[in-house]
Amino acid sequence: MRRGGRCSKIALAIRTDNLRKVYGKDAEGREVGLLGLTLEVEQGQIFGLVGPNGSGKTTSLKLLLGLIFPDSGGGEILGYKLGDPAYRERIGFLPEEPYYYDHLNALELLHFYGGLFGIGGAKLDEKIKELLDLVGMWDRRFIRVRDYSRGMRQRIGVAQALINDPDLVFMDEPTSGLDPIGAMQIRDVIIKIRNRGKTVFLCSHLLKEMEPLCDNVAILARGQLKAFGSIESLLVGKDAIMLTADKVPASALDSLKALTDRVRLEGDSLTAYFTDQSKALQGGQVVQDTGGMLTFMGPQRRSLEEVFIEKVGEES
Amino acid sequence: MRAIYRVARATFHEAWRRRFLNIFLVFGILIIGSSWVFAYLQPGAELKMIIDVSLGSIRFFGMLIAVFMGTRLIPDEIEKRTIHTILTKPVSRAEFLFGKFLGGIATIFANVALMGAAFLIVFAIKAPQFRAMTTEGSMSMEFMTGNIVKAVILSFFELTVLMSIAVVASTVFSWIIAAIFSFFVYFVGQMAEFFNQLANPERDIPAVAKALLGVIYKLLPHFEIFDIREAIMRDQFMPWNVMGKIVAQGLAYTLIVMLIGYLIFNDREV
Amino acid sequence: MNRKTKKITGWLVVIALIIAVQPLARRVSLDRLVLGINPPTPWTRILARSNQDPELAVTGVTGVIVGAILGGFREVAASMLWMKTDTLWDKGEGTHAQALWTMRLTTLLDPHWLEPWRITGWHLAYNMFVETDDPKEKAKFLQMGVDSLKEGVSWNPDRYDLYFELGWTYFDKVRDYEEAAKWMQAAIQFPHPEYIDRMIAHAFERLPDMPRALDWYDYCLKRNPTDGTAAGATITIRERYLPAWKLMEQGKYDEAIAAIDKWLLVEPNSTLGLHMKGLIYERAGNLEGAYEAWKLAGETSALNAHAQAKAVEIAHKLGKPVPEVAQSLFREKAKGGMGISRPEEEAAKKN
Repeated sequence: MRRGGRCSKIALAIRTDNLRKVYGKDAEGREVGLLGLTLEVEQGQIFGLVGPNGSGKTTSLKLLLGLIFPDSGGGEILGYKLGDPAYRERIGFLPEEPYYYDHLNALELLHFYGGLFGIGGAKLDEKIKELLDLVGMWDRRFIRVRDYSRGMRQRIGVAQALINDPDLVFMDEPTSGLDPIGAMQIRDVIIKIRNRGKTVFLCSHLLKEMEPLCDNVAILARGQLKAFGSIESLLVGKDAIMLTADKVPASALDSLKALTDRVRLEGDSLTAYFTDQSKALQGGQVVQDTGGMLTFMGPQRRSLEEVFIEKVGEES
Repeated sequence: MRAIYRVARATFHEAWRRRFLNIFLVFGILIIGSSWVFAYLQPGAELKMIIDVSLGSIRFFGMLIAVFMGTRLIPDEIEKRTIHTILTKPVSRAEFLFGKFLGGIATIFANVALMGAAFLIVFAIKAPQFRAMTTEGSMSMEFMTGNIVKAVILSFFELTVLMSIAVVASTVFSWIIAAIFSFFVYFVGQMAEFFNQLANPERDIPAVAKALLGVIYKLLPHFEIFDIREAIMRDQFMPWNVMGKIVAQGLAYTLIVMLIGYLIFNDREV
Repeated sequence: MNRKTKKITGWLVVIALIIAVQPLARRVSLDRLVLGINPPTPWTRILARSNQDPELAVTGVTGVIVGAILGGFREVAASMLWMKTDTLWDKGEGTHAQALWTMRLTTLLDPHWLEPWRITGWHLAYNMFVETDDPKEKAKFLQMGVDSLKEGVSWNPDRYDLYFELGWTYFDKVRDYEEAAKWMQAAIQFPHPEYIDRMIAHAFERLPDMPRALDWYDYCLKRNPTDGTAAGATITIRERYLPAWKLMEQGKYDEAIAAIDKWLLVEPNSTLGLHMKGLIYERAGNLEGAYEAWKLAGETSALNAHAQAKAVEIAHKLGKPVPEVAQSLFREKAKGGMGISRPEEEAAKKN
């Protein structure tokens, strides 16, 4: 058996192979948990694992972190086998809604976590100063954790996750519950980490936040991987032209349906997709003829949310 | 080792911020400090009273601290998910478990030492006075102070065993069930010899029952061995080699229980 | 090693350790037994006792339960209960039955605490004794007091205190000097105050058994030549009673009686003289004479229950009607004639 040795030559931060963890069955007899996850996350990118609650996000994360054990399947983290204690030296983790020893202040807390890595002395002091500056907590370093706001907890959480200068950082819902400015600051930190060549693995259901942040995304639903790829490849549909318009009367719908079956009218607001340019132009004509107002026409670019609804909805 | 020390230190520091632990300690010291007042209620047996009340308080409040702290050490970390930030760092489960346990033991030690010191102070002031008041024939004082210190030391090791049971129980059950379980084992363990006597071959009970009682006796920690109040009352010298054996037995129990705890906790999903 | 083998190995180690700790546990158990500290928890004995004695069943079983719940704190509970006992007792006769109950519980909870045994025995044999006028009741309380002290002795067999307490109760209350001497001789096997040796002599003197009384007085004098009581007693015995004793031993009963009568002229109500006279008549087969002598001794001192009991004993043989005397009722019972007998004795008889 190899311990601590690299198993893979490819510069992958995370690789999983049919990772499976079943907790039981739901009322309809379907298995609940993670039903075989195969993923590859390259180093130096921000990777987003998205999915609704109960989709298996947290299970995946816990499996990768070694907090729970898979029923079958395996994987590698930074080239180490899943469950090998060695990679814990090189990862960081920000849990969802983290709590910490709340009798400590920021300095004491980071000293404690630094101590777990065997970092100490001036080196640790320096690191702590750097991290508290990074998350904007240096001025508030003597406040005890019990008096922290939600945002401060999240910031100190980020700082503790980075105390060992990790190559791979896991973050569970890093911006949930934060005010817009707080969320933006956390996003900035995440990008900074990536820019230093580190890998960031995000778990979130906040799709709007993930969209501008992630390089690659995996969509998870009911324990299964529904989509996996770069943001660009997922969001931009190369085979469709989208048309949106307002003030479109219901009477226009029949003419539009003759051109495409992907048309939706909500109130007087129209969204339609066409397979080629000429049909799209005809559609535009119909809008103009019925007195509607064209708001957009161009290559389809969906939001992550739409892709998500499309992928997750496929099943039900 | 580094991680064990860090976790233990954090646990010890946190313990002093737990209000219920402070309350137990304050109550314990208050009762010990006023044990000499109780003593006046028992004319002719003042010394006995002061010793019974003080040692009883140390064991009683020590027991509450051991059980209530022990059963909360791990569940609190899981509930607040602080365990996630620790176990994802280079801290093995064994290190975490033993670190938490040792932190708890350090807390017990400090509490027992404080209560013991209060007892010795009250005893040093009041004992000569009470001895002058009565003629308690058996209270000759030659070994008494030494025996009291020994009794306090043994109480600490007794609580060590109890806390290990509380910690391990809490990795299996919810903390409230774990607390009830710990108290139960503690009380039943106080009469371990009882099961041994019931299993006496001369007794007229079915062989199966006898075998079962024998097994219970062998599995139960014998908590009564830590009680040397008899030696104090008779003013009998408590030999150090016997003390050593009792402590060794206590440590062996602790080791066994913590090993079981490790085997359970290592597979536990957090 | 993979997870599974590791796990199995771990559990095997646990089992091995549990087995390995057993010899140590036995060793510690033995050491404690040898030291006499906290010998094996006596619950079985309590249970066995309560099975045989229905009156005790309630208190015994409750004691077991309470003791179990209180675990290591039963001594404190015993102290609290003992305080409660004091309060109950001081409230008056109405609460004495309750007080006896809490006393019993105290002794069960902390059987190595001597005070409750001593006080319980005293309350029963002395205080409860005088609270009733019925000799049968009185005899019952004597029995209970003596039994309680005997049980206390069985818990604390290596300390003089309760042996002496039991001996004293026989000496002073039951006035059974034979038993008194027996228990006090048991008491002096352990470190004890000097006066107990002299008490043994006193008991033999009153029985009367003059040669043995003299032995004990001589022993006291040898140890402490300044013991005035012992010195005086040896002189009196040698001068007044030893000659009569020797005559009695030789079978010269008339001469023995004459030797005693000589001193009874000087001091007609002498307890020792009358006891001697009773004994000589009894040995001579003159039951009437013995009865008169013991009766006179019993009447001279209202507290001389020994003489009264002896008078009753002889009156029975003569077929005379006699008043009931609590002590004699008790002594008859103790001899197995009737009434209460102790569970151990029952068991012993069976074997």
